[in-house]
Amino acid sequence: MRVVAVTALSKRFGEVRAVDDLTFEVGQGEIVGLLGANGAGKTTTMRMVLGLLAPTSGRALIEGEPVGRVDRRRLGYVPQGLGLYRELTVAENLRFSAEAFGTAPPDLAAEGLSEYANRKVGELPRGVTRRVAFVAARLHDPGVLILDEPTSGVGPLGRARLWESIHLVAETGTAVLVSTHHMEEAEECDRVVLMAQGRRVATGNVSEVISGLRTVAVVAGVTTARLDEIRRLGGTVLLSNDGWRVVGLPLSVVSEVVGSGTEVPATFEEAFVALSA
Amino acid sequence: MLAMTLKEFRQVVRDHRTLAMLIVMPVVLLLVFGYAASFDVDVIPTAVVGPGATNVPEQLPELFDVETADADATRANAEEMLRAGEVNLAVVTGDGPPVVLLDGSELFMARAAVQILAAAPIPGLDYVVLFNPELDTSAVLVPGLAGLIIVFVGTLVTSMSVVRERETGTLEQLAVMPFRPRDVFMGKIAPYFLIASIDIVIVLTIGTLLFDVPLNGSVLPLIVGALAFLFVALGVGVLISSVSENQAQAIQLALMTALPQIMLSGIIFPLSSMAPAVRWIGYLLPLTYFNQVAKGVMLRGAGLGDLLMPLALLVALGAVIFTLAVTRFRSQLRPARVRAAT
Amino acid sequence: MSWGLSRVTVRFGDATALAGVSIDVEPGEVAIVVGADGAGKTTLCRTLVGLEGIDGGEIRRPDRTGFQPETSGVWNDLTVMENLEFVAGAYGLATDPARRRIETLLEVTGLGGARDRLGRQLSGGMRQKLGVAMAVLSDPELLVLDEPTTGLDPVSRLELWSFISLTAGEGKAILVTTTYTDEARRGNSVLALDGGRSLASGSVAEVIDAMPGALFESARSHGPSSWRRGRTWRIWSPEAEPVPGATEVSPDLADVVTVAALAAEARR
Repeated sequence: MRVVAVTALSKRFGEVRAVDDLTFEVGQGEIVGLLGANGAGKTTTMRMVLGLLAPTSGRALIEGEPVGRVDRRRLGYVPQGLGLYRELTVAENLRFSAEAFGTAPPDLAAEGLSEYANRKVGELPRGVTRRVAFVAARLHDPGVLILDEPTSGVGPLGRARLWESIHLVAETGTAVLVSTHHMEEAEECDRVVLMAQGRRVATGNVSEVISGLRTVAVVAGVTTARLDEIRRLGGTVLLSNDGWRVVGLPLSVVSEVVGSGTEVPATFEEAFVALSA
Repeated sequence: MLAMTLKEFRQVVRDHRTLAMLIVMPVVLLLVFGYAASFDVDVIPTAVVGPGATNVPEQLPELFDVETADADATRANAEEMLRAGEVNLAVVTGDGPPVVLLDGSELFMARAAVQILAAAPIPGLDYVVLFNPELDTSAVLVPGLAGLIIVFVGTLVTSMSVVRERETGTLEQLAVMPFRPRDVFMGKIAPYFLIASIDIVIVLTIGTLLFDVPLNGSVLPLIVGALAFLFVALGVGVLISSVSENQAQAIQLALMTALPQIMLSGIIFPLSSMAPAVRWIGYLLPLTYFNQVAKGVMLRGAGLGDLLMPLALLVALGAVIFTLAVTRFRSQLRPARVRAAT
Repeated sequence: MSWGLSRVTVRFGDATALAGVSIDVEPGEVAIVVGADGAGKTTLCRTLVGLEGIDGGEIRRPDRTGFQPETSGVWNDLTVMENLEFVAGAYGLATDPARRRIETLLEVTGLGGARDRLGRQLSGGMRQKLGVAMAVLSDPELLVLDEPTTGLDPVSRLELWSFISLTAGEGKAILVTTTYTDEARRGNSVLALDGGRSLASGSVAEVIDAMPGALFESARSHGPSSWRRGRTWRIWSPEAEPVPGATEVSPDLADVVTVAALAAEARR
């Protein structure tokens, strides 16, 4: 049974369609990434999956149950703001979570947090509080873990370590739903759901998303006028290490305007651009 | 500077909520308070007891509105009625000259009565002021003031409690934990309840000591009233908190609930003097009833039985606030569930 | 004459936000500051434009600087046009030249069609572009942009970078901060910040060359200097000793920054 099943989920705020007919699933032990820019609808989707926001139409099921009726103990959530009490210490925050969920407080030493036990969360650096929030969200061994942009603003080393932790959690069988706006993190997920303007523009693992999409690479030295012409014809021009790459137009068209070009496999970012056009 | 002014103008015009407050509020407030602010006494509910009950009423000034004329009732009965607040003036007839008993806890009525009796004395009529013989203003104001302070501070402080959670993002976490909406509500009120209870005791004690306010009755009804009153005041604060988007709004709303309570709860302007259209607002305010209970106990020595109505109303208000707040929480903490139920 | 900071230290109470940081921003070039949240990027920006006092070092700053804060700097309840007009008024720019400049900026940023839209109705990308336009309107010599691309979709990010390059082409000195290491290649020089300290600085090629030791790739982790990267692990060998079962790879900037962070950690 799919742990998280979202079907035709939509949310409208007045005229704005924050989420538009979204469908996806997360299985046990799977890591699914919601990938998209700010405003694409990732956070709104997660809040609907958690039952914090009622959808305009469509539905979200957790372990086969409508989200409103799911036992809260099956869910673990780390929001963008981390959701910790800044005036309470690390130990107090974790104890509150443990008591709310009816489990024993976690072993701080095992989590590497003992030196911060009696420090107030508001005084600690972001990297540490992120780890605390992560512990708080899984100390009751939830079936589903939902993380809203956990790597936002984190440096490369911090991000790598965070993904290690996420993989370890998934290995215990927890279904993980993560959102991010870093394209390169698509590699870390078993599957990604690419979102743009509330809609799903693609889904699958990285190779599936890219599959078959081609970009045209053009060497540097093309005038702005030619680039404008390409844009007029509907292509998107992206910068690369050694020139320009055009997404969305076939090689023949590009060569005609620019005079040269080679077809190359698209990068993930380029695939995203092509699919969300 | 001109650029700055222009920008501010544009922003204010687009901010409809603030604009409404700036323009509409002063008008509304003026209307309401204009009709409320009055020290004039039009009627004094009166009881006449004793053998003269049949013919004395017509001899009394028009201001004394005779509601009960009971030939079999005694002076003791009359005092009971005054203590319970059923009437504010009693004429005791008997063998000797009639005695007028005045309720000193209703300052303006008592003063109006004294004035009338002094201006047109009925031969042989003597009057006694019960419950506040000196017609001392502090005695009448302090109990109500204490209540006002508590309601103000209590509502203000709790009004920010939920907003803070929303601003720091912890409200979402509460929503995904196994808490029931009423757990959250009671949990939020509890610490403030404890502290505010101690507060009430301190404020009333200081009031009685410094301002010579008597404590003529038993403390029990006062405690019951204070607890019920606190529950309502703090509950209103939490309710405000759950409908405010940020702390500034919460404080605004809390202040807006404090202002009417000063003017319309009867602690300054007697309820009976207010235009009926405005008086009904006073009947919805918890402070009105706490004032009645506090004055009743402290000045008139009233007991639980006498104060049943205001106490019951306080408890009823508490139940209403509780239900509203919990419903509001439920729609915030479990919106998906609320939807499924409909 | 280049602008920038020389060994600048900024403290807030007990906390040190910047410790002896130096950066040069040349006219006509783009300097990029890369770092995680809390690394000191915003403090660096604010210090450079004069919003924060310093506890040590020197600042080289022209009279006219333009600044775009992390929050885009756009007023939500004013229209695009009103936002720009307000900035023009605030700087006391003469009406006609200001109007021409506004029109040019609207065209370059592609915001012409949205000129009557309220700030809060703009998409993320458009709001950022407006913010940059507002910072550039007064024709400053030094332009400081704090995280203009964070959270934007790839296309908006590219459009913003085109706008920035164009502005550099006009001779302005530009400093941009970002959390995306892959954006560092868009600049002429890069500074990597971590906890208020400089991890690496120079041109991208110089920074990569200066990485000590060697980098390897493997299917499994190997020791404390390993980190995940997608489906494989990166392993850093400080003494350039080969790692069994791993192949050597050439590092990109993200790798170099990670290595520097690891080295800094080991020292602490």
